[in-house]
Amino acid sequence: MKPEYNVIGKSLPRTGSVDRLRGAPVFAADIQLENPLILKALRSAHDHAEVVAIDVSKALAIEGVVRIFTAADIPGKNLLGIINKDQPLLATDKVRSRSDAVALVAAETESAAHEALAAISVTYNPLPSVTDPFEALKTDAPKIHPKGNLLFSRKIRQGDAEAAFAGCASVIEKTYRTSMIEHNYLEPDAGAGFVDTDGTLVIYASTQNPHYDHKEVVTLLGLGDNQVRIIQAATGGGFGSKLDLNVQGFIGLALFHLKRPVRHVYTREEAYLATAKRHPLTLTVKTGADADGRLKAIKAHIVCDTGAYGSYGIAVASRSAVHVTGPYEIEHVDIESYCVYTNKPFCGAMRGFGAPQVAFAHESQIDLHARDLGMDPLDIRLKNCLRVGSKTGTGQVLTASVGIGECLEAVKPYYREALESGVSAPTHPFRRRGIGLGAMWYGIGNTGVQNPSTAGIEMDPEGHITLFTGCADIGQGSTTVLAQIAAETLGVQPAEIRMVVGDTKYTTNAGATSASRQTYISGNAVKDACQKLGDVLMTEAINRLHSPKDSLVFQDGHVVIKAGPENRPEDRIDFPCLAKRIHAKGVPLFWQGYFDPETIPLDPETGAGSPYATYAFACHLALLEVDTLTGQVTLEKLVAAHDVGQAIHPENVIGQICGGAAMGIGFALMEEFEPQKTVSMKDYHIPTCADVPTVIPIIVESAEPSGPYGAKGVGEPALIPTAPAIINAIARALGERIYHLPANLERVLAASISSGHFGPQEVTHG
Amino acid sequence: MMNTGYVRPRTLEDALAFLAENSGKTRIVAGGTDVMVDLRAGTLKTDYLLDVSRLQALRGIEIIGNDLSVGAAATLSEIYNSAILEAHAPALQKSAVNFASKQIRNVATIGGNVAHCSPCGDTLPALAIHEARAVLSSPAGERQVPIEAIASGPYMCALPQNEIITRFILKPATVAFADFQKIGRRKELAVARMSMAYMADKDAEGRICFFRFALGACTPTPQRNHRIEAMLTGQIPDAARIWEAGRVLAEDTIAVTGRRASAVYKESAIQGLFMRMVYPLV
Ligand SMILES: Cc1cc2nc3c(=O)[nH]c(=O)nc-3n(C[C@H](O)[C@H](O)[C@H](O)COP(=O)(O)OP(=O)(O)OC[C@H]3O[C@@H](n4cnc5c(N)ncnc54)[C@H](O)[C@@H]3O)c2cc1C
Repeated sequence: MKPEYNVIGKSLPRTGSVDRLRGAPVFAADIQLENPLILKALRSAHDHAEVVAIDVSKALAIEGVVRIFTAADIPGKNLLGIINKDQPLLATDKVRSRSDAVALVAAETESAAHEALAAISVTYNPLPSVTDPFEALKTDAPKIHPKGNLLFSRKIRQGDAEAAFAGCASVIEKTYRTSMIEHNYLEPDAGAGFVDTDGTLVIYASTQNPHYDHKEVVTLLGLGDNQVRIIQAATGGGFGSKLDLNVQGFIGLALFHLKRPVRHVYTREEAYLATAKRHPLTLTVKTGADADGRLKAIKAHIVCDTGAYGSYGIAVASRSAVHVTGPYEIEHVDIESYCVYTNKPFCGAMRGFGAPQVAFAHESQIDLHARDLGMDPLDIRLKNCLRVGSKTGTGQVLTASVGIGECLEAVKPYYREALESGVSAPTHPFRRRGIGLGAMWYGIGNTGVQNPSTAGIEMDPEGHITLFTGCADIGQGSTTVLAQIAAETLGVQPAEIRMVVGDTKYTTNAGATSASRQTYISGNAVKDACQKLGDVLMTEAINRLHSPKDSLVFQDGHVVIKAGPENRPEDRIDFPCLAKRIHAKGVPLFWQGYFDPETIPLDPETGAGSPYATYAFACHLALLEVDTLTGQVTLEKLVAAHDVGQAIHPENVIGQICGGAAMGIGFALMEEFEPQKTVSMKDYHIPTCADVPTVIPIIVESAEPSGPYGAKGVGEPALIPTAPAIINAIARALGERIYHLPANLERVLAASISSGHFGPQEVTHG
Repeated sequence: MMNTGYVRPRTLEDALAFLAENSGKTRIVAGGTDVMVDLRAGTLKTDYLLDVSRLQALRGIEIIGNDLSVGAAATLSEIYNSAILEAHAPALQKSAVNFASKQIRNVATIGGNVAHCSPCGDTLPALAIHEARAVLSSPAGERQVPIEAIASGPYMCALPQNEIITRFILKPATVAFADFQKIGRRKELAVARMSMAYMADKDAEGRICFFRFALGACTPTPQRNHRIEAMLTGQIPDAARIWEAGRVLAEDTIAVTGRRASAVYKESAIQGLFMRMVYPLV
């Protein structure tokens, strides 16, 4: 039976929406500072080159140019990176990609800053470059970093895959490729800053991780922790790319030297050029199934092209390896994943960390097996899907909240209905319809590493509650969700809680808003803090109400004796009254909460371990039509079932599902970032409303015992199954499969031609 | 971009006078949906922007005698909503359906579309099949030029800088079949990778007695294709014949553009799109 909640599961108005609707200056680019200087970065003119000399004299002579910084001006450590430190803020001896910043201009006006950029003269000594990761792995390839071009590898080995293939009725081996993707958040990167009266450098930034920014800026400038304060401005989307330091370091450097307000706002073009991309993956996957369609073995070789810098590349390689089995039980696994440097724009985190790329492969494989064995694609997934008690590829035994079977069952009625309507029958001379499924699993939080969150809760002597969290709300609504969790725990309304969010001066580290981790991990930290405060309130209430603790509950800002026969005033006591008494006794009313999911690191040789404490699951169904004469694909419907444990805020969950589906459509059909060719939204296509069909979101709630009120996460899972479902539907429509994303006009038309669908076809009416 | 002056004269005469005085330093602007993009990108530099979008002389869609007149400042939304065009130039009306997005259609003009000389301009194939002529005004008076003579190449406008396009004169046609189709990388807000327009009629025996066709976005400037028109006129349209005409069209086009990497898709898709568009004739 599902527990009854007070505010959990209610779609309350989103925190901050009124400010945004009123057009309040909440975003970094709108922040009002007195007479700010404009910052602009000069980017590299080469893929790979030694920086011989930088002559700024001409640029400095331009009226309005205040200063031009180079690496020599950085007082601390000029090396950034959240997992491995390999990326200078400003180039030192060489540039490794066109994204690299070489110099930073501070000027009184935009136009002076622009002029200065053009007037800086950099002498380069071009070096041979490498843009293909397979080439980069060869011994004679140009060396991009001192340690070589292989940044990281992850192995997972269980059982004996080779031997198991021998006993399989169906063995399939294919190579899949995905493209580099631009996040394309609505708000290009932006920040602003000033020096406070006490000398603190205050930096507002559009960011997914203010506490990481803080640590990096402090190190970069060689300052003490309390000399830098990062405030997360309202953030108009991030999708992973605002996890890296984009403008924060530049602003910090300028403040350090100039002590004047500054602002740094990227144009769309600069956001395209200079920020992280989704890793293109090349993966060869071999899977084997027995005659009943049971998956027995997988062998996978994955290459992640991380471009010039690591950023989150190691996490992508690691997560890809873990997730390439799909949400299925496979006994024998032999997986290797490599993260490789090339002289391309660096790739980092993007919604799913490699999982969307590998899902394209594992979902294609399982459909291929179904076809090979004459099985139904839904049946074969139901047969193989993980359940409670299943062992994953890393040997982790799943103990609860394994909702993949429920997700598959949830889409079943739509699937059957479409099949019964004869979806794939040739009823039109040049249009073929198709239906496809895509399933996924997604480990919540970082892969096999600790990733704690903290939170603070305070009640003042008048009984007012304030929640302190470092968790960056980047538009997904975490502030609202955390307020709901606190409100539920303390028996108040979320609107009664004052929220202090994403300010390193007042909040403690909640880790990155990434890996779909904030509801689960920061939600638990908030709950922990609230329970500690709650315990103090309860203890005090015992004395007042003369009733044992287990008879007491929180209700509407009171502690009350539950299940009393009548509602007597003497059975309840309000928070202000309790707070005053507790405060008078000197007992603390501020409590800090903490949560770190229980994970076991992956063994470097075998990959054995428990990389995540819990997993989200999902299945999408895509119905579409392929124009066999032109390769145009028209989506008719998407059905998206997601196991989120517990939807704290159902509208937020639906928002994530629909937005994720739209992003998945782009990944499947049109998005491809080509370095140097792709400059802006003029030549990079993301779906418009006209490309997105009706999305039917289905929330599945297989409660996670370790989650706050049973919740897991949904941010990234929303996107992962869409592309596989679409690709499988195209394959079903044409009888020909696409192995290279995106399935753009060219690739779909080529598949139509090679499958014999091109040209006017005989029509059967039925 | 910041140092560009903006001028909005009240009459065509004033506009022409300003142009004459400031020739070489002035760029005409209507909806600005190409001009503003080029200004921001730095590919266009000009001292003045001369806004012609509200000049009465450039507005309106009407039948005048045997001609169909479309004002150069008619917006794509006006074209989209025009009953006159739906009746007399249906392919042109249809070219507005998937043009950009509603916001852009509300300001973008047909004059701007033609004068920008993009090979991908969506109104161009439809204008070509209606044998449109542009009416140009200058202090010296009016003259007319065929629509195909306005572009000398991609994004190269052959018009002298002191002239303003005031309207387009089309041959109206009331036909049983007409369409405009395009292929873009997404359903809306996409530049045409290829576009085409046609109109046709069949006689009592089912033969094609009238056929006009133009291809856009594939060749440096969109053109009517007389060879295809001749091939199909007088024929009973069946799938095989249309398919063959599509093949010839593709072949012709590739002969003009050469075999670049993009030709692999284009060659097949031209044939395919032609088939799809003209299929209602079957
Ligand atoms: C987001 C976006 C999407 C777009 N999608 C499409 C699309 O789907 N299909 C398409 O075809 N185009 C598209 N375009 C391009 C553009 O909208 C069209 O070309 C539009 O018709 C231009 O009209 P305008 O009035 O905005 O021209 P402007 O930008 O004002 O002018 C364009 C050019 O024409 C000249 N000009 C304008 N009026 C006159 C005149 N009366 N006499 C002489 N010269 C004149 C100007 O000097 C300039 O050189 C798109 C543009 C954007 C920004």
